[in-house]
Amino acid sequence: MSEGTSIRRSSSRAGTTRKPKKNQLPIALAVVVLIIAVGIFASTRSANAAIFWITGIAFGFVLQKARFCFTASMRDPYLTGGTSITRAVLIAFALTTIGFTAIKYGYAVKGLAIPGMSYVVPISGATAVGAIMFGTGMVIAGGCASGTLMRVGEMFHMNMISLVFFIVGSLLGANHFGWWKLNFISNGPKVFLPDYLGWFGAVAAQLTLIAIIYIIAAVYEKRRGGGGAAH
Amino acid sequence: MEGSKKFFDKITQTEFYQMWFKNAYSYVTGAVLLSILQIATLASTGEPWGVSGVFANWGAWIYEAFGGSVDKWYYFSSQGAQNTLNSGILNDPGSYRNMGIIVGALLATLFASQFKIKKIKNKKQIVAATIGGLLMGYGARLSFGCNIGALYGGIASLSLSGWVFAVFMFVGAVAGSKLLVKYFM
Amino acid sequence: MKEVILDCMGEACPVPLIKCQNKIAELEIGDVMIVQIDHSCAMKNVPEWANKEGYNCELEEVDDGEWEVIIEKSR
Repeated sequence: MSEGTSIRRSSSRAGTTRKPKKNQLPIALAVVVLIIAVGIFASTRSANAAIFWITGIAFGFVLQKARFCFTASMRDPYLTGGTSITRAVLIAFALTTIGFTAIKYGYAVKGLAIPGMSYVVPISGATAVGAIMFGTGMVIAGGCASGTLMRVGEMFHMNMISLVFFIVGSLLGANHFGWWKLNFISNGPKVFLPDYLGWFGAVAAQLTLIAIIYIIAAVYEKRRGGGGAAH
Repeated sequence: MEGSKKFFDKITQTEFYQMWFKNAYSYVTGAVLLSILQIATLASTGEPWGVSGVFANWGAWIYEAFGGSVDKWYYFSSQGAQNTLNSGILNDPGSYRNMGIIVGALLATLFASQFKIKKIKNKKQIVAATIGGLLMGYGARLSFGCNIGALYGGIASLSLSGWVFAVFMFVGAVAGSKLLVKYFM
Repeated sequence: MKEVILDCMGEACPVPLIKCQNKIAELEIGDVMIVQIDHSCAMKNVPEWANKEGYNCELEEVDDGEWEVIIEKSR
């Protein structure tokens, strides 16, 4: 990160004086004011809106600061041989699994309805087709849903285009959803792992699986080493 | 003006500003912070973090603004979906969160003084963004979400669907990589 | 010993990294490659890759949201 480079560069370029960089902090502070204003407005609209707004800001901030890219986690192992983002995503899966299960267990043990069960969805041919379409699309477009939003915030015009067509595609998908539901989704089983393995067994099995994939990813990266781009 | 610039430069050069707002975080730091936010989201709202479902609502609102109607669509037939659509975007929490992701990322680049408008470089990028966006939008509806809802939220919710999604999305990512190298580079 | 400039301005991930991997294969040991990027993710994954390969690598922020990654093919 040093300003003066120690790698020897040709005389023509070395020591080129850069124009002084602008300090964008004042604009950032203006955006903070805007965020607070929208937050206050949101809190007047619905109980949850302000919480969603602030967590959204936090998600966007963290995604950008860490350059956290779910697309890269799936793409880089094949394309460039790197698995560092893949392994970070696995860490996120493991930590969130523990936290989520603690919350769910807390409800279950009191005999209350377990929160977030709408995310346990049927497994069917539609899952496979949708996932393949999604995986293909995100690599071509250079960002998944969260990555696209993050890069829209970073002012990438390319991702703005893909956001527009993401919305168009969603509308088409919603339009055809009835057909997929009738022919595929309605026959698909919902599998909530604790129903089959118990709470402890489900978490233990999942963390073990995540650990195994982590090791495979790390070893794969070392083995492939100076492999370079795949073709 | 000169004085205030000096003042702001002084702030941005402090050790803690550099650490929290200027330098990129490691991927693992990102993973830990996202996990905390995910858990906070489930605890406070009763649902994991989701992104792409909101886009279908945005599509419906835009379609209706142009005179279309989605009332007869099976996808929007549930009472919950109808309520969301009828109460409008300004009352929809999910829309606030998605807009928040955009503004949060914008804020992060401004704090780091790295804001720059990135224009389209060539026609290939337009084609790639169009096809990629359509595939993602359609695919996310079939599999109940994207990398966040179907993958991250699904796996963390101990749903087998998350793992199935992961396997097939990896297949898609390999196919996408081949297409990218062949046609869009 | 030569110095090449690789212009990746406006390129989205993973294109800059793939171009780097392809270009470095053509270079001789001791050559220097200067990669110009404005994709905020590439400023992280290009140096990460170069370090992993054991090349000397430096990152310089040349303007708001623009970087140069200077990579010496040192082995």
